[in-house]
Amino acid sequence: MSPWLAERRDLAAQSNALLPVPTLTDEHWRFTSLRGIDFDAFQPVAAPAPGEIAGAILADGDHAGRVVVRDGGAVVDELSEAVTAQGVAFGSIRRLAEERPELVEPLLGTIVGYDEKFAAENGALWTDGVLLHVPAGVRVAEPFHVAYEIATEGAAQQWRALIVVEEGAEATIVEEHLTGLPGYANGVAEVVVGAAGHLTYVVVQDRGDAALHFAAHRAEIAKDGLLDWVACSTGARTGKTRMETRLTGEGATGRLSGVYVVDDKRHLDLDTTQEHDAPNAVSDLAFKGVLLDEARSVWRGVIRVAAGAQGTDSYQENRNLLLSPKARADSIPGLEIDTNDVRCTHGATAGPVDPMLRFYLMSRGVPEAEANRVIVEGFLEEALERIPDERIRTALTEHVMRRIPS
Amino acid sequence: MADLVIRNLHATIAGTDTEILKGIDLEMSRGEIHAIMGPNGSGKSTLSHVLMGHPGYEVTAGEVTFMGEDLLELEADERSRAGLFLSFQYPFAVPGVTVANFIRMAVNAHRKGGPDGEDDPIRIPEFRKQLQEAMELLAIDKSMSSRSLNDGFSGGEKKRFEILQMAMLKPKIAILDETDSGLDIDALRIVSGGINQLVGPDMGALIITHYQRILDHVKPDRIHVLMDGRIVRSGGPELAYELETSGYAGITEEVSA
Repeated sequence: MSPWLAERRDLAAQSNALLPVPTLTDEHWRFTSLRGIDFDAFQPVAAPAPGEIAGAILADGDHAGRVVVRDGGAVVDELSEAVTAQGVAFGSIRRLAEERPELVEPLLGTIVGYDEKFAAENGALWTDGVLLHVPAGVRVAEPFHVAYEIATEGAAQQWRALIVVEEGAEATIVEEHLTGLPGYANGVAEVVVGAAGHLTYVVVQDRGDAALHFAAHRAEIAKDGLLDWVACSTGARTGKTRMETRLTGEGATGRLSGVYVVDDKRHLDLDTTQEHDAPNAVSDLAFKGVLLDEARSVWRGVIRVAAGAQGTDSYQENRNLLLSPKARADSIPGLEIDTNDVRCTHGATAGPVDPMLRFYLMSRGVPEAEANRVIVEGFLEEALERIPDERIRTALTEHVMRRIPS
Repeated sequence: MADLVIRNLHATIAGTDTEILKGIDLEMSRGEIHAIMGPNGSGKSTLSHVLMGHPGYEVTAGEVTFMGEDLLELEADERSRAGLFLSFQYPFAVPGVTVANFIRMAVNAHRKGGPDGEDDPIRIPEFRKQLQEAMELLAIDKSMSSRSLNDGFSGGEKKRFEILQMAMLKPKIAILDETDSGLDIDALRIVSGGINQLVGPDMGALIITHYQRILDHVKPDRIHVLMDGRIVRSGGPELAYELETSGYAGITEEVSA
């Protein structure tokens, strides 16, 4: 291992050793209990043999490159020749940290630090993941596809991603967390969108119903850059996903779209930030969720506007449809504004299907169960329609609707 | 027997003792246009909702037969598939569902109505053609079919889309609840023209209104005056003009006299 990487792991390990596992008394963990989880029971496993992945929803079709991380390592690591010729680096981050350290060393650990328990643990222990580096001015039409899978029961998967789209570059990357077997996944994704760069980042979390899923995704968007970020969650027993966006350059835009369907006794915790550190930037977050059975969701979203970020336009909404009287959704929106001349709005709701709307549909001859499905699909559509790529939009719509009983 | 027979219908707001309908009797059939007129709060909208099976009301007495069937035994969707239609006074927005998809779903639900419930979905080109013809009849711009139904529509647009749905579902009896409200005079003429074209041997209309304005365009065969949950007078079209001159107050005096 390169000395710089060993040093960084050591720094993260020191932080990890000092940080306790969060409890309900920590502000960000008020609604998500980790009691009773024996984290030591999950152990890293080296990558097993390659083989086809199962249950991915966006793996078909042409891709600029593909990576499959199974348990602790990449078992598929491919980049098309045409895209290689464009000067793009993509593939296993363990491999590329050695082969292309100039792309990894300056950024790794600088966007998501080691000051939080799970990120610190990941910084010390990550085994593999993905690097995407699109040089300035390069546009890649086909999406990159990354799949993470736990294939050994009880495995701990510490994955790591670094995604960089330089000035004026453009790319789409799809990240799927597959159902796999029960285990513990903890990951960090660091995302950089350069000036006037454009990244579409689609994350599908469909881990198994006994899996634990923790992740910290954090993006920085430079001047006039655009990040179109789509998060779709249907999986895992419990966990927490941080989805943080920092607008560092004037005129940057973050479009943050979330769709989740949570059933059974699953617990989904989403923690988002929209951090405006530059003037005239736009961030627009819309998360829509459907809760079934005894499922529970928590969304905590904060808009932070730094002094000097005048002309900020920021919006956040979280709307939840409760399809069972035992389901529950908590929304905690927050605004921290240190400047004048900003426009920040937010909204949060949770409630059952409107019986009057259902009556309206039924009065047109539509049976009750179908009316409910149509209302759910229409509700989610308002977030799904923000997905620019039609193929991805259709696949995600079908995926989430499969979770709604007919 | 008439297609729609209402006998001594009583209804309350669900879960309360508040009686809104206090014994309604009415008969009508396809090919006929009936109007129910009455002041605000007389129970006109409640009657239309109760007939369609609105969950917010409870029928406490009386009976309703529709095409020989006990209407009150049917769920709202079954009533629709049996041939009853309600044009809502306040139509609901259906976010995320386009006009075309919504109407196609409704049309297909009706085509499924057979005893085996078998699927016989309408072919898309055939559906497009029918929808386009109906939209032309109601002077609705083609581009509107890809918008979410009633989402951000003006009051007048919503009413046109109610009649568009009626044109596509071809009911036997259509209840038009305050369809004229929110329409400017041009829109009223277009919508009334659409209603006139659709009413015929296969369709009847029950127009609920508190102005006679729409009745200048859609000529009723019978007019019923509803006050305090009861039909207090029935008569021919001339009754509308009488109401216009003497108002509902005149009727009240006649009732109490």
